[in-house]
Amino acid sequence: MVQRQPVGPDQTMSRLLAVTGLNVRFRTEGGALDAVSDLGFAVHAGECLGIVGESGSGKSQTFLAILGLLAANGSATGSARFDGQELLNAPPASMNELRGNRIAMIFQDALSGLTPTMRIGEQMVEVLAVHRGLGAAEARRRVLEVLQIVRIPDAQRRLRAYPFELSGGMRQRVMIALAMLCNPDLLIADEPTTALDVTVQAQVLKLLAGLKRHTGSGIVLITHDLAVVAGLSDRVMIMYAGRAVESGPVREIFSTPLHPYTIGLLRSVPGLEHDPAVELPTIAGQPPDLARLPPGCPFAARCGRVIDRCLTDLPPLRELRPGHLAACHRAGEP
Amino acid sequence: MSATTPAPLLEVHDLTVHYALPGRSRFLGGGKLRVHAVDGVSFDLGEGETLGIVGETGCGKSSLGRAVLQLVRPTAGSVRWRNRDLCTLPEGELREVRRELQIIFQDPLSSLNPRMTVGEIVAEPLRLHQPGMPAEERQRAVAEMFTRVGLRPDMTSRYPSEFSGGQAQRVSIARAMILAPRLIVCDEPVSALDVSIQAQVCNLLRDLQRETGISMIFISHDLAIVRYMCQRVLVMYLGQVMELADRDALFDRPLHPYSRALISAVPRADPQHLVAEIPVLDGEMPSPIDPPGGCPFHSRCPQAIPRCISTRPPLEDTGDGRKVACHRWREPPGSVPQMTRQP
Repeated sequence: MVQRQPVGPDQTMSRLLAVTGLNVRFRTEGGALDAVSDLGFAVHAGECLGIVGESGSGKSQTFLAILGLLAANGSATGSARFDGQELLNAPPASMNELRGNRIAMIFQDALSGLTPTMRIGEQMVEVLAVHRGLGAAEARRRVLEVLQIVRIPDAQRRLRAYPFELSGGMRQRVMIALAMLCNPDLLIADEPTTALDVTVQAQVLKLLAGLKRHTGSGIVLITHDLAVVAGLSDRVMIMYAGRAVESGPVREIFSTPLHPYTIGLLRSVPGLEHDPAVELPTIAGQPPDLARLPPGCPFAARCGRVIDRCLTDLPPLRELRPGHLAACHRAGEP
Repeated sequence: MSATTPAPLLEVHDLTVHYALPGRSRFLGGGKLRVHAVDGVSFDLGEGETLGIVGETGCGKSSLGRAVLQLVRPTAGSVRWRNRDLCTLPEGELREVRRELQIIFQDPLSSLNPRMTVGEIVAEPLRLHQPGMPAEERQRAVAEMFTRVGLRPDMTSRYPSEFSGGQAQRVSIARAMILAPRLIVCDEPVSALDVSIQAQVCNLLRDLQRETGISMIFISHDLAIVRYMCQRVLVMYLGQVMELADRDALFDRPLHPYSRALISAVPRADPQHLVAEIPVLDGEMPSPIDPPGGCPFHSRCPQAIPRCISTRPPLEDTGDGRKVACHRWREPPGSVPQMTRQP
């Protein structure tokens, strides 16, 4: 058994990343668009926080904002402290020092995360030279070591390969190796397995599980796939239309979901246990247009439990069970 | 097959699709390089039945779907549709038959013409295949079809770019269904959609099938969705059939080691199933260019024996309506080493 981390907002575990009151806004031709609104969460050392949301939920923009990688028409307010240091709108030089070193990222599309014109080996050696000042021989030794950890067969030969010469699964493992090179304190994995086959997905998820266990890194796993989150995360945050609608310990989220959106998502995914004769329950309608968000609860238009108040008042996140929060006027009702 | 199974509408026999590559092999003989996308696949499909095709990227499942519809011309084999072999049918007759055979693709937005309104897109098959139909009647048929797939009839004047992924997929389903086809090939129809929309589209396809009795070939890498959608499942690896079985037989008791590996790798929406404990199938599918001899799966199979490397296992009937291509399928699962749960 892998030991799950204890959870809860005021654990003695060191807080690696503390985000409070984060807002991300984009200026568009159609006016301002709020991609993330009043978001707060923390990531502790040695834990995996799963962030679940569909396209437009703001889950990716949250981390692009924190890492200073927002598109030019985007701006962020609020606070994101990493190990005591404010990251939001920090000078580029200090972000460059952190990114790829103490904070590493893995993206869905490994091709866009790798330089196409550089051999795998060169790219990896460069990271160690820049961030750790390692010499060629020493860097090469570390690169081979990490490639072996991520189970790249024939690593010595792969060092000379260009990214396009590798399969999708192999590229994703190289990305993870690249992220692991400097033993980051925080690893942010944005849909790391979405483009992969189930067998390769299982390989990649296992690597992340091993990384968490052996290095004590904090991991943020961003995904639309609840099943991917279930087996790896300690805590889960569900996002909808730029807001956290529910967060809590992973077992709680799956055993006692409180928000109607979470409940709907869990029901609408056909697991291998679902009886095919039974029609899958669905969430009606479409996610809202972020440029025209309704005044009350963003989920109200699709919610089966909607009452008048949902259409006018935005429900705040409330702690309804220990460490388990939900933003729903009716959550916790008998 | 049991007595209740309807007579096959579609009989695919020894279907083979090879793509020629530029360049020649570096090995003896230096023959043309060929991608063996589909290699001798046989199956049949009954009226109102849904057959799932699963396998990893590059296993040939999409090529197989396209070859059935003659969208790529097979290298060998036959595709009998109501007892006519589509592979040898002249182009003109094939066009006639195609009214009955439709396809929907993974990415709805890239498969809809951005310069046409969605109403024009759904009307186009009618215009081509029933040119005599009066415009008014055509519009009525399109509006009816919109309602049927869960779109409002007043949306017909919009362009595809105004639609979300889920709505656009409904438009492609409407286009595919407008001629009342008898077979629809769905190639990863929900993979590009958001989770909350996937179930909507799956249910729509199931409803349409219930209403029309249409047959479906449902291609997907998502085993849970295949289990929800299909009565029978074909497991493909490197262009070949590994196992062909009824849904419950396959998911409850997979006989081929590759089927077992695929099913056990599916992550569960259950925190008790830790990722760290998923049995892992190492390695990746070999290249379909000059594929290995013997069993195509031998290089990753935890149960491979020397015979698997030298001899390709035939697709054997197991006696219970299932077919499997494995030398060791008769041995009870307990007697052969299973995949190890690595630390």
